[in-house]
Amino acid sequence: MAGGGEFGAYADAARDLAAINREAGGALTELPPEEPSLPPGRWIKENLFSSRSNGILTVLLLPYVLPLAWILPSANPFGFIAGLYPDRGILGSVLNFIFSENRDWDGVRVNLRLMFTQAYPESQYVRVWVALGLLVALAGLSAGLWAQWGSLSMKKLSMWAMSAGGFIALGVLSRQPSVLRDGEGTTLLDANSEPLRESFVDAMADRWVWWAIAAVLVTIGSTLWFSLGDQRRRNTFVAAIAVVYSGLGLLVASLWIVNYGHYGFSDGEFIIQPGRTVAMSTKLPWTVMWLLLGATYVVGRAVKAAGRAGVARPMVNVGWLLSPFITFWVILRDPALDYGYVTRVDIPMFVAFAVAGGLVMWALTSPTIGETGRIIAVALLLFALFHWLAGALGWYPMLQKARLSFLLVAGFALVAPNFIGEASKRVRFVVGYLVTLGVVQYMITMINAPSTVHTPSNEFLGGFSVTVFVAVMTMLLSFPIGVLLALARTSTLPIFRLLATTYIEVVRGVPLITVLFFFSVMINLFLPGGMSLSELAAVTTGFVLFSAAYLAENVRGGLQSVRRGQFEAADAVGLTTAQRTSFIVLPQALRVSIPPLVGQVIATFKETSLLAIVGVFDFLRIANSVIPAQREFLGHKREGLILVSAIYWIFAFALSKYSQRIERRLGLGDQ
Amino acid sequence: MSISDATTAVSAELAARDDMIVCRGVDKWYGDFQALKGVTATVKEQEVVVVLGPSGSGKSTWIRCINRLEAHQGGQIIVDGVELTNDLRNIETIRSEVGMVFQQFNLFPHLTVQDNITLAPIWVRKKPKAEADEQARALLERVGIPEQAEKFPGQLSGGQQQRVAIARALAMEPRVMLFDEPTSALDPEMIKEVLDVMKELAQSGMTMIVVTHEMGFAREVADRIIFMESGEIVEVGTPEHFFTNPTEDRTKLFLSQIL
Repeated sequence: MAGGGEFGAYADAARDLAAINREAGGALTELPPEEPSLPPGRWIKENLFSSRSNGILTVLLLPYVLPLAWILPSANPFGFIAGLYPDRGILGSVLNFIFSENRDWDGVRVNLRLMFTQAYPESQYVRVWVALGLLVALAGLSAGLWAQWGSLSMKKLSMWAMSAGGFIALGVLSRQPSVLRDGEGTTLLDANSEPLRESFVDAMADRWVWWAIAAVLVTIGSTLWFSLGDQRRRNTFVAAIAVVYSGLGLLVASLWIVNYGHYGFSDGEFIIQPGRTVAMSTKLPWTVMWLLLGATYVVGRAVKAAGRAGVARPMVNVGWLLSPFITFWVILRDPALDYGYVTRVDIPMFVAFAVAGGLVMWALTSPTIGETGRIIAVALLLFALFHWLAGALGWYPMLQKARLSFLLVAGFALVAPNFIGEASKRVRFVVGYLVTLGVVQYMITMINAPSTVHTPSNEFLGGFSVTVFVAVMTMLLSFPIGVLLALARTSTLPIFRLLATTYIEVVRGVPLITVLFFFSVMINLFLPGGMSLSELAAVTTGFVLFSAAYLAENVRGGLQSVRRGQFEAADAVGLTTAQRTSFIVLPQALRVSIPPLVGQVIATFKETSLLAIVGVFDFLRIANSVIPAQREFLGHKREGLILVSAIYWIFAFALSKYSQRIERRLGLGDQ
Repeated sequence: MSISDATTAVSAELAARDDMIVCRGVDKWYGDFQALKGVTATVKEQEVVVVLGPSGSGKSTWIRCINRLEAHQGGQIIVDGVELTNDLRNIETIRSEVGMVFQQFNLFPHLTVQDNITLAPIWVRKKPKAEADEQARALLERVGIPEQAEKFPGQLSGGQQQRVAIARALAMEPRVMLFDEPTSALDPEMIKEVLDVMKELAQSGMTMIVVTHEMGFAREVADRIIFMESGEIVEVGTPEHFFTNPTEDRTKLFLSQIL
């Protein structure tokens, strides 16, 4: 997806070479002959019983590895002989707990929307779908433009199908038979006041749907396995994207067919209608999302095929970078613009900065500018900083937007010397400045405009969306800060080294929860008069500052892995220190830091659960405090928490899988 | 040896050329260990100087001092009239005139061969991309591997990588080329292709200082040979003088060990 860049091309080239070799029939290099898969008997012998100690370990551990022992009683290593149901191993207990009939999932079902978007008003809920649609569209475009999905061999698919079927069957077997109830729903008790349960045979018969699903999966898997020989199994491929898309399609189709039931809120009243399909307000948007994903994927592939990927990819990357800001501040917040003000103040200000700034940028990239260019840039920086000082001391009023725009102009002026040269380079630089100016001023206008979305608390975002928002903003903002900190810590200038080291060591010594408490409760007391941070902004700042310190250490590790020869070659060829860092050192350093960096992303994502403690209504807090407090669902905590754990696990697992893919693409470990 | 000794050892024609690099009494210490002891030498324009000597003699240290990859503590180094001091401006000027080729190639692994060569001309000399690309292709032709332009360094053989490194150094249009044991990390089959490129470079009139163990190259191409040991220059002379009739005992000992 976003960010393949030059490394994708690096690994692409290596793979292309292998592909060319394959096409040439292995004529370029001698490849070793493909080894066929071993038949099961031999596989077991060679992998599990290859030596005497291996064999003993296998015999001892296998009963614990086999799900059977974890589901069935674990009183002794060969417990599967002792009996099926009285007590069971760890996994079995957990599964039984989750799927037992004592679980009342109504609380979760009714509050599903609450858990994901908290109190977003129903009347404007279409905004949530638009925001989601934007992300889905970007995802589809990325998948199409980068198209690195690979393929699944029939062997893998059939093994997955068979194992999935097997697990479902095991799961059905392991769940206790349901309790018997009489006509009014009271549980029947036996002589010892234990609940009476239906017989094993009846229980299995009741669950025939699951048996059917398991049977279908196993049939598909084994047909694939046995109809193709080993060779064809390994070498027939199916595009992974087709499998994923059809899987999603099946899920969406099930919304229209399967009777999941209609649950929700309406005017403060709960709706609980099992036995029918979900509401149209759920079915329709998800179907649209699925279609949008497919359509944008097709568009992306078409653009790639037309050879315009080089132009489209940076645009999609910029889209991803801007998406958190646009979805949050523009789409979900629904700012109400005062159009009179916009035409009177905002547009003239943009035009002024655009024209004047554009001319300055053009002049600063002229080949004849020489040293005056740097002097002008520094002067502009001082000018911009002066405005900030004046603003803080209240000397004269100036719009926040103007001050930020001056700073932006100064920033671009400082890097302008790198873009001196031919006309096309200068034009691209000026256009870059104009686009950045436009985006920044647009966002500031939107942020400052009041919101029309009214929610009980001041925050209009909650539940899972606030978790995702905080996690994404944290990673987006802490990453540049972390890189700068790492560069400062390894810099030759002592003042940078001292400041960076102090910051990192202080922040790493403090627990995250105290940082969050400080920012959510105390920060507004420390800010100069007139400035205040909303609670969400405050805790996000806390996260960013905390995460940046850890990121800095990861990046520093990567920096130290770049060989000295690279520095010397860059110096010998005449690159300045800044150029050497950004073109030579950082790309190589970041490539090495990716495994710990992704670990940091996963950790940050899970650390957002601390928001619940600080008072933000993320979905953990809703599951833990809000739902059990509702009239209908008093005390129903467990189901919500099970769902929360499952969602956290799914996302963390997906992130971890993505990191493995990135590592493979960059050829890490193939050094 | 003094400057006058170094120059009287060569032909009058060579002596008439301008000085490209002048070193006077260059000293360098690594902590307490003195790596260079009063090195004094002059390299003329378009001259090819080969530096020979045992390991640890200070050959690499000396040429690395010339483009400030190492800093000398005593003496003077003057490159094309610009003295090498701590002044960043001078260092930048000198580095843009001096190209260097390393023993370990040091190509940028994340950039294609083409990008390796055009990176500096575009960002340091501010050349337009089209012109830089054109120049890169011409240089790749010159070193004999034009078809490798879109490959990555990891996909090339050692000899090809070193030739790309030479092309990368040439892209900055230097006036002096420094070679730090360019063929020491190569297999014997690939040494010839790199030496051929260096011979062609010498014949085209580039000023070169080459630290190497390739005696054949020294005999064929060098205008002058400088022999260093333990951080000081022991003997200077033309290849004929050096290989057939050396004056110093230490030189004779070295030659007896390698020839």
